[in-house]
Amino acid sequence: MRYYETIYIVDPNLDNNVLDKIMDEISKELLKTESKIINHRVWGKKRLAYQIENQKYGTYVLIHFQVGNQSKMIEFSTWMKLNNSVIRHMTVLLDDKPELFTEEEKKEEASVKDNSVENEESLSQADKVEKVPEKEKDKNTVEKLEEEK
Amino acid sequence: MAFQNRNKFCYFKENGIHEIDYKDVKLLRRFVNDQGKIMPRRITGTSAKMHRKLIKAIKRSRSIALMPYVERGID
Repeated sequence: MRYYETIYIVDPNLDNNVLDKIMDEISKELLKTESKIINHRVWGKKRLAYQIENQKYGTYVLIHFQVGNQSKMIEFSTWMKLNNSVIRHMTVLLDDKPELFTEEEKKEEASVKDNSVENEESLSQADKVEKVPEKEKDKNTVEKLEEEK
Repeated sequence: MAFQNRNKFCYFKENGIHEIDYKDVKLLRRFVNDQGKIMPRRITGTSAKMHRKLIKAIKRSRSIALMPYVERGID
């Protein structure tokens, strides 16, 4: 069986109730393709790399599912395209069966993120340390030149 | 530049990464320059196999607006 992941962007200014309604609608539409939904969760509000429909931010939602009727997936895709509440969507084939999403994973992710941030900070500090001597060198050379004059 | 004056090695082989997720923007940003262009293999040192996967991931994240198609670099 094949597993897919659909990601879509929704207007970030929507209320939670409205967002839940939209998600329900989409899962209903997806169930028409006889597929089994494994995960359907909000990934988070993110800044878009470029403006879409004059929006700078967007709420990303992820669906993991096992597809039932492959030929009906085209209809789902066109329905998503015509759906006004969805700014953009994309479906991708997965290699492995996706794991069920739980709250614990979220915490782990957060801890991993913290670590990576710390690493980045240390890296940036190292860069600064490397850059500073260069500037000093420049100053020294300038001073020497002035002395020669 | 992050890749200058360094011994070349494949980042993914070194870290035991076999699959690249298009949602992992932090990782993908390393292989893109200020303008948002994909860096060539001769500079990053990525293996051919992983470079193909990398390109796929970057293009996917571009189409869903996680990464830019074009970005203005530093003048």
